[in-house]
Amino acid sequence: MRPVDARLYAAVMMQADSELVRLAQSGNQLAFEALVVKYQRRIARHVARYVPIASDVEDVVQEVFLRAYRGLHSFRGDSAFYTWLYRIATNAALSFLRRSPREEQLDDAEEERSNLFEPGVSDGETPERTLMASQIADAVRQGLARMQPELVDALTLFEVEGKSYSDIAQMFDVPVGTVRSRIFRAREVLAKRLEPVLAPQRDRRW
Amino acid sequence: MSQKVSLLLDSQLDADDVAPVLHELGVDDALRDRFTIYGLVGDTLRGVNVPDDGFSKRIFARLHREGVKVEDGFDPLA
Repeated sequence: MRPVDARLYAAVMMQADSELVRLAQSGNQLAFEALVVKYQRRIARHVARYVPIASDVEDVVQEVFLRAYRGLHSFRGDSAFYTWLYRIATNAALSFLRRSPREEQLDDAEEERSNLFEPGVSDGETPERTLMASQIADAVRQGLARMQPELVDALTLFEVEGKSYSDIAQMFDVPVGTVRSRIFRAREVLAKRLEPVLAPQRDRRW
Repeated sequence: MSQKVSLLLDSQLDADDVAPVLHELGVDDALRDRFTIYGLVGDTLRGVNVPDDGFSKRIFARLHREGVKVEDGFDPLA
């Protein structure tokens, strides 16, 4: 698992989500829900850089999406939707920190950690979530290791390197339709590996 | 339909197909699950492999409970 090149990813995302956002702006609740599901993990990770306690992170992220929903009409598409969300999240996290003295935050974070009886957990995650995150990463890693190389390339070039479908098609001299198919097939392979890992949480997901 | 969900996630779906696929997502639990897992796969590859323990549902519940509406003139960055 490697960090994505932020500039490349932003370039791809700039054009992304426009139809989902347009539908959400016109009152389609499902369109907004799809955007929440798509971005909530990345927004939570961003907020957690500022806010040390998991329960506070969730409160702040909820606030981010509530504010985004209320202000959907103010999003003009001048940036990627994710960039807009990211800025809302930064403001919300900093606003939260201003309301809560740092010493109190650190005391609460320490108390939460000691309640977990798990000294290795240091970022506000519960042991259960940490274990599941590890299992998810392992399942994806093992799935990639057994997958046809052309599927791995298509998926990782898109998701990690930020290449567009047409970039990938050009790189491998294949039609864009082949790239669509490869990315989908790669996801299906990994989804089947993830299903048993995620089964305990099925009822809690969207 | 799962392939269309994959394309929706990547913003590669034809604009005319987005609303029908969203409709299917609204009525098909297995399809919604696919959308969620495909998204998790991408985030995991980017190093953000956090399981969804109902986080999204709690956001939607709060939106509904508080009757949050899209408001003209509200700027969330202000």
